[in-house]
Amino acid sequence: MSTESSPLPYRDTKPVGAADFYFAVNATFRFLWQRFGAEGLRRYWTDLGTQYYAPVAESWKQGGLPAIAAYWRAFFAAEPGAEVQVHESGEAVVVEVAVCPAIKHLRAHQREIVPCFCQHCYFLNEAIAAPAGFTARVTGGNGSCRQTFRARDGEVPPQDLNDIRAAT
Amino acid sequence: MIGVYDFCGHYDWTFEWLRQTGGEELLRQYWDEAISQDSQRHAAALILPRGIAGMVEYWGHTLEHEAAGYYCTTTDAVYRIDMHECPSKGFLMRNALHQYHDYCDHCLGWIGPLLRRAGFVVDHQHNHAGRCWWEIRRADDPTPPSAPGSLAGEHDVRLLPDWNQPGPMDTYRRANDPDDKSA
Repeated sequence: MSTESSPLPYRDTKPVGAADFYFAVNATFRFLWQRFGAEGLRRYWTDLGTQYYAPVAESWKQGGLPAIAAYWRAFFAAEPGAEVQVHESGEAVVVEVAVCPAIKHLRAHQREIVPCFCQHCYFLNEAIAAPAGFTARVTGGNGSCRQTFRARDGEVPPQDLNDIRAAT
Repeated sequence: MIGVYDFCGHYDWTFEWLRQTGGEELLRQYWDEAISQDSQRHAAALILPRGIAGMVEYWGHTLEHEAAGYYCTTTDAVYRIDMHECPSKGFLMRNALHQYHDYCDHCLGWIGPLLRRAGFVVDHQHNHAGRCWWEIRRADDPTPPSAPGSLAGEHDVRLLPDWNQPGPMDTYRRANDPDDKSA
């Protein structure tokens, strides 16, 4: 993760992040939901994707599907407790999340998870993917899911938020 | 997915997003309600009933977990942290990330209200370069902050040659709020 050739835009000295920070991610979503509702929380996720993660979008724009696959492999290697496989074809990148590290850690510590927690992966991914010429879809959730990235010019049905399970 | 490998980066970004959305007041509410009372409820569960003994347990775990370079000094009356290499500010500095105008304020932003509820106050300085010190005493203890080296000995961060940076040094006396800055 901390090498010059890492596909991650930011570097740390630790090989994986501190899992307790998932508590803060979950609490942030709850705070914004209570203050601003679903619309405000989605605006936060979208702004985060387009602004903070702009270097990721640029990398995907330059490197295409191989860059998307490389990013997610490196990303989940740095997330504590993740069990993920990344499949790449000429048409799509599919991220199969067998064990979501966030949901796993929150459950292990008996934290009340914001029900729409898993929707953040769609809104964030889409905000990063769109300026790079790709689109993201998420199915499943609540501990395991599938995230798919394809070119925006393909015929991809819109994301159905009902395909993303509520977190418990 | 929002990850934790770069947590401090999007945490700092979130501070500025909140400030732009609802001003400094919204950010302070976030630090208290979302971080102090929700995210860090495990800290409250240790510190509220056990005081300094709870601080020793909480920060002993957390600072190891975050791979911090630090030294703690404990007596019956005071809990002191000398932070030599803050992992959080260090991440931002290494990655040239700077969104909110004073990232270091977030610590007192969530710890201050928690310590107020527990009956403690904080003497604190941070130099905006990844180094700071904390002395936490009961609110009814009028003891002033220690002189450099007198409590933590050679581990006192104030003795380091680069403790004083060209920029401002933020100083707090018997504080519980990030806006209690006295210098």
